[in-house]
Amino acid sequence: MNNNQKKRNFQIEAFKHKVVVDPKYADKTWKILEHAIHEIYNHNASGLSFEELYRNAYNMVLHKFGEKLYSGLVSTMTFHLKEISKVIEAAQGGLFLEELNRKWADHNKALQMIRDILMYMDRTFIPSTHKTPVHELGLNLWRDNIIRSSKIQTRLLNTLLELILRERTGEVINRGLMRNIIKMLMDLGPSVYQEDFEKPFLEVSANFYRVESQQFIECCDCGDYLKKAERRLNEEIERVSHYLDAKSEAKITNVVEQEMIANHMLRLVHMENSGLVNMLLDDKYEDSGRMYSLFRRVSNGLSTIRDVMTSHIRETGKQLVTDPEKLKDPVEFVQCLLDEKDKYDKIISLAFSNDKTFQNALNSSFEFFINLNPRSPEFISLFVDDKLRKGLKGVSEEDIEIVLDKVMMLFRYLQEKDVFEKYYKQHLAKRLLSGKTVSDDAERSLIVKLKTECGYQFTSKLEGMFTDMKTSQDTMQGFYATHGSELGDGPTLVVQVLTTGSWPTQPSVTCNLPSEMSVLCEKFRSYYLGTHTGRRLSWQTNMGTADLKATFGKGQKHELNVSTYQMCVLVLFNNADRLSYKEIEQATEIPSSDLKRCLQSLACVKGKNVLRKEPMSKDIAEDDAFLVNEKFTSKFYKVKIGTVVAQKESEPEKQETRQRVEEDRKPQIEAAIVRIMKSRKVLDHNNIIAEVTKQLQSRFLANPSEIKKRIESLIEREFLERDNSDRRLYRYLA
Amino acid sequence: MRKEDTVKLISAEGYEFIIDKKAAMVSQTIRNMLTSPGSFAETQHGEVTFPEISTVILEKICQYFLLVSPIRQYVLSRIWINPKAF
Repeated sequence: MNNNQKKRNFQIEAFKHKVVVDPKYADKTWKILEHAIHEIYNHNASGLSFEELYRNAYNMVLHKFGEKLYSGLVSTMTFHLKEISKVIEAAQGGLFLEELNRKWADHNKALQMIRDILMYMDRTFIPSTHKTPVHELGLNLWRDNIIRSSKIQTRLLNTLLELILRERTGEVINRGLMRNIIKMLMDLGPSVYQEDFEKPFLEVSANFYRVESQQFIECCDCGDYLKKAERRLNEEIERVSHYLDAKSEAKITNVVEQEMIANHMLRLVHMENSGLVNMLLDDKYEDSGRMYSLFRRVSNGLSTIRDVMTSHIRETGKQLVTDPEKLKDPVEFVQCLLDEKDKYDKIISLAFSNDKTFQNALNSSFEFFINLNPRSPEFISLFVDDKLRKGLKGVSEEDIEIVLDKVMMLFRYLQEKDVFEKYYKQHLAKRLLSGKTVSDDAERSLIVKLKTECGYQFTSKLEGMFTDMKTSQDTMQGFYATHGSELGDGPTLVVQVLTTGSWPTQPSVTCNLPSEMSVLCEKFRSYYLGTHTGRRLSWQTNMGTADLKATFGKGQKHELNVSTYQMCVLVLFNNADRLSYKEIEQATEIPSSDLKRCLQSLACVKGKNVLRKEPMSKDIAEDDAFLVNEKFTSKFYKVKIGTVVAQKESEPEKQETRQRVEEDRKPQIEAAIVRIMKSRKVLDHNNIIAEVTKQLQSRFLANPSEIKKRIESLIEREFLERDNSDRRLYRYLA
Repeated sequence: MRKEDTVKLISAEGYEFIIDKKAAMVSQTIRNMLTSPGSFAETQHGEVTFPEISTVILEKICQYFLLVSPIRQYVLSRIWINPKAF
C-alpha cells in the first residue's frame, strides 16, 4: 500500500463562505427578523419558517452584524413590553393579577421561541462580547418594563399583600394564581423576589402578628393563646409550601415566633390561673407540651420554662418538707416525695419530651429541698422499714424492685448519707431480730443496690448482720443436736449471736430472767464458748421476744407473743396473784422507764390487757398493783403484745443519734486529710478544705470549721505541721 | 416507521429525505426547531426546508445522523465521501 500517494491526492480545504456584496444586506435581514419577532408577540407565529429565521440570524452574526441584531432585539422587545405594560395597567381589580399572569406566560413562550431562533448568536456572539444571553435578557426586560414600572410595582405588591391578609382572616384565595405570580418573581432573580416581595411581606406580617398577639393575650388564657399561636405558625408554614419560596419559611416562622411567642414569653409563663405553674399542678400535658414545642423555637424559651418549673418545684418541695402535718408520719412524708417525683417525671416525659436539661433541673431541685429537712435520712429509712415489714407483702418481685429503685433514687439526693446509714442499721437490726421482714430477698436486693451506689464499706456491716443471723441458725441447730435430749420439755430457746461491731450498739441492761430461762441460757453459753474460745457473750435482754402459753380464768387458752421484759413480768404471776410495782421492779431488776413502758403495754392497752391494774389510770405510779386479768378475751388464739416497732425518734433520741454521727465523722475527716496530705506533701488551707469536701461528698457534706478543727488536732498529734514562713501552708510529716 | 416518528428534510433542489426523528435530533438546531414552543411551520408539518443546503450534502448529513444516533441498527457501515461532489 502506498500511503503517501493516497495522502497527497486527498485534501480537505476549509469551507469558504460566499462573500456578501449587498450593503443593505444587514438591514434586510434584520427586517425579516424584526417582523418575525412582532409576529411572535402577536401570536401569529404559525406561518413562520424556523429554518429561514435561524439561517438569517446565523448569517447576520457570521457577517459581523451581531451587534445590530442584538440591539435590534433589545429595542423590539422593549417596545412590545411597553405595550403589554399598558394592557396590564388597564386591568381592573381582581383581573390585574390574572392579566399579569397571562401576559407573563405569553412572554415566556415568545422568549423561548426567540431564543431558539437566535441560538447561534447566543452561543457565539454573546459569550465573546460578554453580553447578557437572550433568555436572561428577556427576563431583565420584563422586570424593568413591567414589574418595576411605576404604575405596576406598588400595585402588584399591594395586591399580593392584600390577598395574603385576606387569607389570614379566613378567606379562600386563588392559590394557583399566587403561586404563578410568586414563581415569576423568583424566576426574575432572588433580589427581585426579596426586594419586591419578601421584605415588605415580612414587615407587614410582623405588624399583623404584633397586633393580633396583643389582642389575643388580652382576652385569652395561656392554653388558648398557645393553641392560636401554634395554629398561626402552621398556617404560615403551609402557606409557604403552597405558594412561596421555600427559603421564606424560616424567615416567616421567625417573624411569627418573635411576635407571638418571644415578645410575650414571660407574660404567658406567669399568667394567673393558666400559666405554667397551673399547668404543672393540674397535669395539663397537652398544654405544657405545646408550650415546650413553641418555646423551643425562640432563644431563652426553654430556659424560661425550666427556671419557672425549678423555682416552683423548690417552693412546693420546701413547703412539703417543712409542713409539720406531713412530718408527723414519716412514711406518708416519703410517699409524698415519691409521688411528687413521679408526677414530674411523667410531666417531663409526656410534655417536655424527656429533655435532659429538665431532668437535671428536677434532680437538683429535689436535692435542694430534701436536704432542707435534717430528718430526711431518718424518714427515708423509716419508709423502707415500713415497706419491708408489711408494705411489700404479697407484692410481685418486679414491683418490689421498682419500689426499692425509687427509694435508691431518693437516697441519691441525700447529702448526709452517713446519717441514713446509721438509722438504716438500727431499723434493720430491729427487723432482723424480731423476724419481721417481709422478704429476705428484698432485704438483700436493697443491700446490693446500696453497695453499688456507695461501695463495699457502706454495706459491709449490714452484710455482717445477715451473716450473724445465718450463723446463729446453724449454732442453734448444733446446740439442739448435742443437748436436745436433756432439754426435753423445758422452754425452747432461740439465740441470735450478734457480732458487736456490725450491730448498732446498745447499752447492756440488767434483767433477771426467770430461773428456767437462766439455766437454759447458761447451758447455751457454755456450749458456745466451748466451740468459740476467746469470745465474750452478753445477753441483750432489751431486744428479745418470747412466746407464752397462758390459761385465763374461764379456761381460755391463748398464746402470747411478748418482749423478754414482758415475759419476765408475766412469769412472776405464776407464783403470785397480785404484785405491786415495787415488787415487780425488785424481782426483775428492769430499769424503771423500760419497766413502766412494758407494764403499760400489758395492762393499759385495750384488747391486749392481760394484766389488770389498780387503780385503772393510764400512767404507772410507784404504788400501783397488778393482777392477772382473768376476764381477758381475744378473738385470736395468738395475741401479739408490744412488738418493738421502729418509731420516729423522740427529741432526746434524735440529739443522741446526731451526736454519734458527728463523732463518727471526725475520724473520717481526719483520714481524708491524711490521705490528701500524704500524696500532696504540701498544700494550702483553702485547697485542703476543697479536696476534703470533694472526697467526702459521697457520704456527707463536710463543715469547713470542723475540717479546720481536725487539722489543728492532727497538728497537735504531729501528723502535720504549719509552714514557718506561710501560716496558711501545711506540710505532711512522715 | 410511523409518520409521527419521522421528519422530512428537504434540500435546496427539492429532494426529500425522510429519516427517524431521533436521528434528526442529533442536531441541536433541528432539535430546537422541532421542539420550539411556538407554532412554527416546521413543527406543524413535520418538515424542514434547507434552501441553502445541496442535496448531496444533505444526504451525507442524514447518513451522519444515522451513524451517531442511538438507532444504529439502521445505519450504513461506512460513509463514503466523494470529493468531486463538492
